[in-house]
Amino acid sequence: MNYELLQPDSLSGAMEALAQHGDEAKVLAGGTAVVLMLQQKLIAPTVLVSIGRVPDLDHIRTEPDGLHIGPLTILRDMERSSVIQRRFPLLAQACGEVGNVRIRNQATLGGNLAEADYASDPPTALLALGAQVTATSVRGARTIPLEDFLVGFYTTDLEPDELITDIFIPASTPGSRMTYLKYKSRSSEDRPCTGVAAIAAFGAKTCTDLRVAVGAACEVPQRLPAVESLARGQALTDELIGEIAAGYADSIETLEDIRGSARYRTQMIRVHVYRALEELRNGHR
Amino acid sequence: MNKAKPMMSNRTLTLQVNGQPQTLEVPSGQILLETLREALDLVGARNSCGIGMCGTCTVLVDGMAISSCLTLTAQVEGKHITTIEGLSQNGQLHPVQQAYIDHGAFQCAYCTPGLILSTVALLNEHVNPDDATVREYLAGNLCRCGSYVNILNAVRACHTIND
Repeated sequence: MNYELLQPDSLSGAMEALAQHGDEAKVLAGGTAVVLMLQQKLIAPTVLVSIGRVPDLDHIRTEPDGLHIGPLTILRDMERSSVIQRRFPLLAQACGEVGNVRIRNQATLGGNLAEADYASDPPTALLALGAQVTATSVRGARTIPLEDFLVGFYTTDLEPDELITDIFIPASTPGSRMTYLKYKSRSSEDRPCTGVAAIAAFGAKTCTDLRVAVGAACEVPQRLPAVESLARGQALTDELIGEIAAGYADSIETLEDIRGSARYRTQMIRVHVYRALEELRNGHR
Repeated sequence: MNKAKPMMSNRTLTLQVNGQPQTLEVPSGQILLETLREALDLVGARNSCGIGMCGTCTVLVDGMAISSCLTLTAQVEGKHITTIEGLSQNGQLHPVQQAYIDHGAFQCAYCTPGLILSTVALLNEHVNPDDATVREYLAGNLCRCGSYVNILNAVRACHTIND
């Protein structure tokens, strides 16, 4: 457990530290993942770059094109933000479902994405919302759609010298209905066995747009645009909802862990995609 | 990679613990739980799961409940830390402590400091929480003796504290 702890107090200081130490360094935000992994000796960085003193990284800022969220925003602030509750209720729901109150008081949105743990709630909601991640280094900044940012099992597209500096959520179609359904197979504060995030816009009688993301059951959260498009211009009948749920269940390669077998998860995807779409159609939220 | 591994250096930092400034020299990677227990002899925060799930190491940082097992001491430099030892005032137990005693809300009591601190944080946020809110808020504090019914009764009794 020999590592050097750096606590830069500016963004440029953090960038320089990462440029210098890059692949030997780990970024420390809230600590719920990194400190745990250090304590369990699962990681052994030589340098720990704590960004807690870098100012202005915990904003929740509304702009005409959407919402910008700073990477150090804690999940508890996401859950309780009136702007997020009003405009993107499924994101407030998903963040409010993570772990327990203490975890949400510490864990940050940027840290959550950078860890890329499959058994997590916010990434699934953010994928359905079409979120984009801005990564910054001394070389400059680039914006990455979340589906490209999340590469695989605990793996992101971040380069070793890059830091997440913004998470952007584009404005949704006014009147969209959205929900996040977390399914827990063990205790109330457990990580998800499956997570389903769904957003739908409706015309007079038909669904004009549908986005569904499924996470926690697979290595990275997934959307299936071909299945989503079945809903476009259609009334969400029980039959159509069943067809979409089956499309997700049949197409996603599920994984097995302590929260459920791959086969079980396939069934749970079917059940929870169905329930999510039923909820959107019936307008409970 | 020929770079020599840097040694874990000590650092001197000041914490505000239970209203008192404490200047300490700690290993830079030390967790808050260890600093509280070893350097300050505040052993009300307890080690159990080590992964933020059980709540025995709960302390308040600027009034918010956190897991001291998942926090580096260096992360809370300059912040106000409240442990169970800091709740009583002038020899008078905090009303939440008294409510836990009055309702026998423990058996072995290993979880009790964490539960009481979580209850204090809960009541800071909610003046009169309903049972569902209490259950949700305290779900991350486990009591393996199973004193949950009495804990809920104690918390219900605390509502009057805010009235």
